[in-house]
Amino acid sequence: MTQSLWALRAGESARITGYDNALAESYRIRLMELGFHVNEEVTCVQSPSLGAPKVFRVSNTVFSLDDEVASHILVEPSA
Amino acid sequence: MSKIVLVGSPNSGKSLLFNRLTGLQQKVANFPGITVDVASGKLAHAPDLELVDYPGTYSLQPISGEEQVAVAQFTASLDDPNVSQVLCVIDVTRLEKSLYFTLQVIRECARHGKPVIVIGNMIDVLHRHAIEFDTAGLAVALGAPLLPISARSGEGLDTLLETVRENAGRQDNSIDGNQWSDTPDVLLRGTAHQLARQFGPRGDILVRTQSRLDSFFLHTGTGGLIFFSIMFLLFQSIFTWSAPVMDAIEAGLGALSNWVVPALPHQIMRDFTADAIFSGIGAFLVFVPQIFVLTVIIGILEDSGYMARAALICHRPLRIFGLTGKSFIPMLSGVACAIPGIYAARSIDSPRKRLLTYLAIPLMPCSARLPVYTLLIAAFIPNTTALGGLIGLQGLAMFLTYFFGLFCGLLVTGLVSRMSEDRFTDVPFVLEMPPYRMPSWKPLLRNAWNRSKHFVTKAGAIILAVTVVIWILGYFPNYGASLGDSWLGTFGHIVEPLFAPLGLDWRYGVAIMTSFLAREVFVGTLGTMFGIEGAEENMVPLVDSIQVSGLSIASGVALLVFFAIALMCVSTMAILSRESRSNVLALKLFAAYGIAAYILAVLTYQLVSLLAS
Repeated sequence: MTQSLWALRAGESARITGYDNALAESYRIRLMELGFHVNEEVTCVQSPSLGAPKVFRVSNTVFSLDDEVASHILVEPSA
Repeated sequence: MSKIVLVGSPNSGKSLLFNRLTGLQQKVANFPGITVDVASGKLAHAPDLELVDYPGTYSLQPISGEEQVAVAQFTASLDDPNVSQVLCVIDVTRLEKSLYFTLQVIRECARHGKPVIVIGNMIDVLHRHAIEFDTAGLAVALGAPLLPISARSGEGLDTLLETVRENAGRQDNSIDGNQWSDTPDVLLRGTAHQLARQFGPRGDILVRTQSRLDSFFLHTGTGGLIFFSIMFLLFQSIFTWSAPVMDAIEAGLGALSNWVVPALPHQIMRDFTADAIFSGIGAFLVFVPQIFVLTVIIGILEDSGYMARAALICHRPLRIFGLTGKSFIPMLSGVACAIPGIYAARSIDSPRKRLLTYLAIPLMPCSARLPVYTLLIAAFIPNTTALGGLIGLQGLAMFLTYFFGLFCGLLVTGLVSRMSEDRFTDVPFVLEMPPYRMPSWKPLLRNAWNRSKHFVTKAGAIILAVTVVIWILGYFPNYGASLGDSWLGTFGHIVEPLFAPLGLDWRYGVAIMTSFLAREVFVGTLGTMFGIEGAEENMVPLVDSIQVSGLSIASGVALLVFFAIALMCVSTMAILSRESRSNVLALKLFAAYGIAAYILAVLTYQLVSLLAS
């Protein structure tokens, strides 16, 4: 079942399956430069309240993404 | 002199390494057109070698115009015959985000025939966790020498210096990394990803401490409390802690002036030295303590890793107004004073969001507006209380005026961000959350010192020049006998019709014009116009005179509105020009906020007159 990265809750992990077309090419490349590759495992480390950007771990680096970016990253939740 | 270029991705510890290698001898400059600092300094143990610290970037594929300039400057440096080698810093604990950039750098260096050394920083962290790191294997895979070091503990720095010296003296042109010279970016990205998997530390052991701290600092309850406490301290530091030093500077200059001025031979020379030169120097020196203190505190927040968390916490509410979480600290600083606020905006990586923050900062209710508000509110708002003494009308008026400024600032950014969609100067909100670390004091203090020096040398001359011009206009042709008969006074009479729709006479016009030096000058000038000495210290006689002069409450409220919006501050304009690299922006803002302030003040005057009648 594919969903957006933004839908992950704290503690949940998922595998990146792709990016949707609404994400600008330059942003997509920047995300890959940072490690958000297809097939990479991402963990949502923190999901602060009030819609604040969520905190994700990819390889050994932690990034904060807001919904404008994270909602365009498609993932498949890990069992 | 042989130059060494230092590059690396953000948060790789590049700046700390730079400070380690260069010691105290360094200077800071800017690339043309952008705000990012480029520091350079001689190597402490090899003074014939100069190290140039380029801005940190995640790749050589720029998104914003600013990144473009930084990348173009790096590429240009590879054609510079004085550049003997390139040092590329990576964080060995987080290879993924560093290796793509590193491969790009190795490729560009191979194309331009420059040797490159990859520096694997933070090796001490891996040692501490007893994690093996295959330095030799990664070096072979990268096709470039890789030196493991720790900029923090100093481990490996001797070997690094030795290698750098050897490279600088090398005569042959055999260059490493040639296998990448024809590889396109997309393949480098794949290789980087694969190498990071192969050589990077596995598991989440390295981010466990960080995650534990994050669950405390980003928690709705504890996180919010800490955020407000830190912001309260930051605000106090600019508002209260800097005050004694600012007073000392003023007192010191006053004493120096009292000592120098009487020794001068001519009255005009004495007046000029006391009122133009010493006032002018005081006008910009007084900002230095605030700039210094705020730079140190922001440095602590950045180095400790908390800045990224603070930006995350206030991102969502500020996004509504087209801003980013990183706009919060500059705007909060702006409530104390716009100057340190504008400096603080440097940390905003998106040029578009930084510009929007620049628009908001001059509207923040800064401390220079406080004396003006105090005077006007004391003169026009009755000192009565409501709700059984719970609410004082004057206090309420002060609150509303402050709130009005904040509201206008957010309104402007909200409107402008919606009117101009521009993705090309924007970068997405993808913020690296660096590990929490203890800040190093020496670089912080040096940075604050450099920033203060920058302000004094770059903005000081403009502020002094404007002070001298206004002094000349107010002094001649009657040698300071009466401000009303001076050129400034004459000009005030000429433009009096402009202030008539606000119910103000020429004296207020002159006071408004002089307040361009700094808003609080309004009080002193008005005192002079009413023949009251020392109105800045004791406003009561001036308040009485204003009330006796029969000025209406409508004019008073109109003046409050005018001062809440108008950019009456030469220092803000000077530093805005410098920081935004554009004189046009400062002038445009001055004109736009001036016109908006005037129109809204006229409307306020008419409305309040109507209600009061």
